[in-house]
Amino acid sequence: MKKWTEVFLDGISLENPLTVLLIGLCSALAVSSKFEGSFFMGIAVIFVTLMSNVIISAIRNFIPHEVRIPIFIVVIASFVTIVDLTMKAFLPDVYGFLGVWIPLIVVNCMVLGRAEAFAYHNGVWLSIADALGMGVGYTVVIVLLAATRELIGSGKLEFLGATLIAFPEWYRGPNIVLLFPGAFILFGFIIAGTYAINRRLRARAATAAVRTERGASL
Amino acid sequence: MPMQFALLFVGAALINNILLTRFIALCSFFGISNSMETAVGMSLAVLFVMTIASSATWVFYYWILEPLGVGEFLYIPAFILVIAGLVQFVEMYLRKYSPGLYHAMGIFLPLITTNCAVLAAATEAVKPGFFKMNMPYSFGFGEAIVYTLGVAAGYGFALIAFTALRERLDIAPVPSWLEGTPMSFITAGLLSLGYIGLGSLFGL
Repeated sequence: MKKWTEVFLDGISLENPLTVLLIGLCSALAVSSKFEGSFFMGIAVIFVTLMSNVIISAIRNFIPHEVRIPIFIVVIASFVTIVDLTMKAFLPDVYGFLGVWIPLIVVNCMVLGRAEAFAYHNGVWLSIADALGMGVGYTVVIVLLAATRELIGSGKLEFLGATLIAFPEWYRGPNIVLLFPGAFILFGFIIAGTYAINRRLRARAATAAVRTERGASL
Repeated sequence: MPMQFALLFVGAALINNILLTRFIALCSFFGISNSMETAVGMSLAVLFVMTIASSATWVFYYWILEPLGVGEFLYIPAFILVIAGLVQFVEMYLRKYSPGLYHAMGIFLPLITTNCAVLAAATEAVKPGFFKMNMPYSFGFGEAIVYTLGVAAGYGFALIAFTALRERLDIAPVPSWLEGTPMSFITAGLLSLGYIGLGSLFGL
């Protein structure tokens, strides 16, 4: 059980797919101009990663090593098709905004990367932890990025037609934040922030280890 | 007709640049822009594979999937399998008949299967609704090819420009808390700023 939480938390912090491993970037930056769109993109990615990790780790002993990549892709593509058609039916506005990004989850390096690097070598239970950790880590970062961009750029935060936060009327946001350079630049600052936090986490872990070692030797 | 093709090419390459204004294939953009040699190799490989893949998937979609009435449901798995198989086939063919070319882009070929740019171009060649321009919304075969060439040219241009910038960035004095990846992202942002200016080119 301890290992399960460890794997789960690693996905969110020390091995965050977006800020540390730099995988799955394309979709994250592209959908980050709207809070609502990035939230549903995160849900879609969590679903696809979870289901493909479960299926692949369940059948990993029957997959011949040479053809594993096409098999992974077929498994992932079928879940992406489910998401594609479901979203088109129930959330047409969000689907219109996400556009080509839903089919592109198939080649999202994060989903395929987790299948290859984790689910193919581990049991079902741990793969669930990995998929949830990675998916939540991805979602947290893009939602943070999108919320910052929408709030600064347009002065209000909307979710499914309801306004969550609104700045006063006179506020005129810098348009550049909403345009594509804003995504790159803000994401650069977010990475710098996570690096600082991770450095502090590692330093604290190191001093704690030294202290327990000293305690043991005394 | 030639005018329309030219506009389509420019629109795909510069105005809707796949890397810097639409964020497709960013993993490879940050992953391989360390050295000029790999950047040029990757651009050539993408140009080559993307053109073949798009024409194959266009034919596959309009001659097999559409007549069977399953295009809407099956295009994602079908395209990715066609692309993966094609890349494997091209790799074997090049190794046997053109070793020089194989050496130049050999290691990039397997990577391209998971390069989102190839799947994106193939998808948009049959479903151009995602491509926001004042253009007819159903591409013929010729338009699909020109569009794909434009996308690949835009990819190569942006990748090579960014690689050149990044080589300079290594020796530039940067605030210590921004060193490395954060600064690369900010540089990419400044580079993409330039593409906004191209947005109103030819009134497209």
